Amino acid sequence: MKPVDLTTRLAGLTLKNPVMTASGTYGFGEEYAAFYDPSRLGAITVKGITPLPRRGNPAPRVVETPSGMLNAVGLENPGLDEFLTTYLPRLEKLKTPVIVNISGFSLDDYALMAAALPEDSCIAAVEVNISCPNIKQGGLAFGTDPKSAEAVLSATRKNTKLPLIAKLSPNVTDIVTLAKAVENGGADIISLINTLLGMRIDIKTRKPVLGNIMGGLSGPAVLPVAVRMVYQVYQAVRLPIIGMGGISTWQDAVEFMLAGASAVSVGTANFVNPLAPLEIIDGLAEYCRQNGFTAVREIVGLAHR
Amino acid sequence: MLENRSLGSAIYRLVLKGAVAATARPGQFVHVQVGTATDPLLRRPFSIAGIDRPKGEVTIYYRVTGRGTALLTRVRAGETLSVIGPVGKGFTVPAAGELLLVAGGIGLFPLLALLAAVDRLAVRVKVLWGGENRRFLEDVGRATLFQMGVDYAVATVDGSMGHPGLVTDLLQAALAPETAAGQQAESAPSGGQAGALVKSPEGRTAITVAACGPKGMLQAVAACCGRAGVPVEVSLEERMACGIGACLGCACLVRTAEGTPVRRRVCKDGPVFDGREVVWDETG
Ligand SMILES: Cc1cc2nc3c(=O)[nH]c(=O)nc-3n(C[C@H](O)[C@H](O)[C@H](O)COP(=O)(O)OP(=O)(O)OC[C@H]3O[C@@H](n4cnc5c(N)ncnc54)[C@H](O)[C@@H]3O)c2cc1C
Ligand SMILES: Cc1cc2nc3c(=O)[nH]c(=O)nc-3n(C[C@H](O)[C@H](O)[C@H](O)COP(=O)(O)O)c2cc1C
Ligand code: FES
Repeated sequence: MKPVDLTTRLAGLTLKNPVMTASGTYGFGEEYAAFYDPSRLGAITVKGITPLPRRGNPAPRVVETPSGMLNAVGLENPGLDEFLTTYLPRLEKLKTPVIVNISGFSLDDYALMAAALPEDSCIAAVEVNISCPNIKQGGLAFGTDPKSAEAVLSATRKNTKLPLIAKLSPNVTDIVTLAKAVENGGADIISLINTLLGMRIDIKTRKPVLGNIMGGLSGPAVLPVAVRMVYQVYQAVRLPIIGMGGISTWQDAVEFMLAGASAVSVGTANFVNPLAPLEIIDGLAEYCRQNGFTAVREIVGLAHR
Repeated sequence: MLENRSLGSAIYRLVLKGAVAATARPGQFVHVQVGTATDPLLRRPFSIAGIDRPKGEVTIYYRVTGRGTALLTRVRAGETLSVIGPVGKGFTVPAAGELLLVAGGIGLFPLLALLAAVDRLAVRVKVLWGGENRRFLEDVGRATLFQMGVDYAVATVDGSMGHPGLVTDLLQAALAPETAAGQQAESAPSGGQAGALVKSPEGRTAITVAACGPKGMLQAVAACCGRAGVPVEVSLEERMACGIGACLGCACLVRTAEGTPVRRRVCKDGPVFDGREVVWDETG
C-alpha cells in the first residue's frame, strides 16, 4: 500500500506534513529536542519577538482553567538582535523550517523586523502577530481594527519576500472582516486563533490570580471557537489557513482540516503531552488511509461540501 | 507507581519506579500528569524527596491542596503515571564544611534528598524545620529525620513543639551561636539531639545553607544569610505549565553579578537559585 502523502502547500511554502507547533509554546525550538527530533515536524514556530528585549509580566503568569489555561507571559523575549545572533544559528541546526513570530507597538516595529529577518536561512515564513492580548499598547489593538491590521501587513510586505502569515485574534466580533483586511494588506497565509482574553479570581484572597490580572485562554476549551473561525474564514477568503486553538489529538486536527485548515499548529497540548505533535502526524496519516484518501490535502475544507 | 500512602495532615508519600531515578539529583522535580481527562489539564510539579538508584525508585511527598492533588490520591499501586523528569537544576552538594538545611512545612522533602546525598563523614549537617504545630511535624517526617540520624531542631508557630515561632529564629541563632543558640536548643525539648547546634569554630567560614519553603520564609532566610555572609541556595516555587522551559510561564527575577535584573525560568534554570541573586519583590 502506498503511504499517504502528508505534504501540504501554504501559498509558496511546501511542508513535509501539516503539523507545526504554535508560537510561545515551543520556546526557541530546543526545549522539546529531548523528546524527539524537531525535524519530524512540518515546521516550528518560535516565541514571538519584538525589536527590543522584553522582560514580560510579573508572576503568576499561568493559571489553569476548565480544560484550558490562561497565560500572561507578556511577550518576554530576547529582542531582535539577540534572536538573530544567538538563537537563529541554533535553530539552523534543527534542520526544520522555522516560522518567526513578530510583534510590535508600531508599524515601524513590524517593518523593521520584517526587513531584518534573512531570506536565505531556515526561516520559512514570518508570522505577523497582531493579536497578543498580553501587552498594553499595540498588540491586540492592531488585530481588532481592520484598517490597522491591513496597514501592518502592507508595512511588512514591503520589507520581505518571505511568505507572510497574519495571525488573527479571536477577540473580535467579526473575524471575516479582519481576514479580508489582512488579505488586502498582502498576507499570504492566515493563522487562527490566538488566545481569548480571560481572567480568574482566587476566592481565598479575593484577588485576580494572574500578576497581569488578565491573560489569554488556550487549550481544549477554545477548540470550538477556533474551528468556527477557521470555517468562516475559509468561506470568505482565498488564502490558505493554519488552524490552531485547543488541538491535542489527531481527531482535533482532522476537524480543523475539514473546516478548511491546510495545516495545524499544536500549542498548549505540548505542555501536557510533549509527543502530541507526532501522535497527530501519525493519526492524520491513519485517518486518510482508513478513509481512502491518498493525500492529506484532500480533506481540507470537506466540511463545506 | 509502587506506593501512594497517606501520612496524615493531608500529606501523601508516593513512590515511583522508572527511568527518572537513574539521573535524578537532589532539588530536581518531576512533572506529573494527575489524570487522563483534559480537566484538570496541566501537569503538577513535585520535588524529588528520595532517590534509590539501585532500585530505580524515586519518592515524592505531596500535600492535597486542590483538584489535581486530590485526584492523585486515587492512583493505586501498580497503575502507571505519566511523569516527565527529572527536571530542573538541583542543589549543590557540598563536599566539606557545615550544611544547614532550612525547611518550612513540606519544604522539608526536597531537602531530604540533599541530606541523603551529602557525605556526612565529611560534612556536618543540621536540619532546621518549621511547621504549624506538633501534629504536622509528627505526621510528616519527624520519624524520617530521626531514622536518618540527623541533628535537627524544630520550631512551631503555635509553640506545641520545639521553638515557639519561626524557623528563621533558629537559623539566626545557628548563624550566631555565641548569642542565642543555646537558648534555642533548650526550647526544643523533643527535638532530638537539638543541643548540638552548629558551633564548630574552624568550620565557620565553610557553612552553607539550603532552604525550601514558602516564599516569605525563603526571603527571610536569604536576608539572614546575607547578613552573616553565608552562601545560601533556595528552592523556588512558581505556577508551571510546560515544566521544561518552553512556555516562560514560571518566570522569576534574579540579579546578575553586574546587578541587572533578568528573568529566569524556575522549571529549567531553577528551581534552586542562589539566594543572594533572587529579586523577591518585583514591584519593590
Ligand atoms: C518546583 C516545584 C516543586 C514542588 N514540590 C512539591 C512537593 O514536593 N510537594 C507538594 O505537595 N507540592 C509541591 N509543589 C506544589 C504543587 O505543585 C502544588 O501544590 C500543586 O500543583 C497543586 O495542585 P492542585 O491541582 O492540587 O491545586 P490547584 O487546584 O491547581 O490549586 C489549589 C491551590 O494550590 C496552590 N498552587 C497551585 N499550583 C501551585 C504551584 N505550582 N506552586 C505552589 N502552589 C500552587 C494555589 O494556592 C492554588 O490556589 C511544588 C511546586 C513546584 C513549582
Ligand atoms: C504560554 C503561551 C505563550 C504564547 N505566546 C505567543 C506568542 O508569543 N505569539 C503568538 O502569536 N502567540 C502566542 N501564544 C498563542 C499560541 O501560539 C496559540 O495561538 C494559542 O495558544 C492557541 O492554541 P492552543 O490552544 O493549542 O494553545 C501563546 C500561547 C501560550 C499558551
Ligand atoms: S513552566 Fe514552562 S517555562 Fe517553566
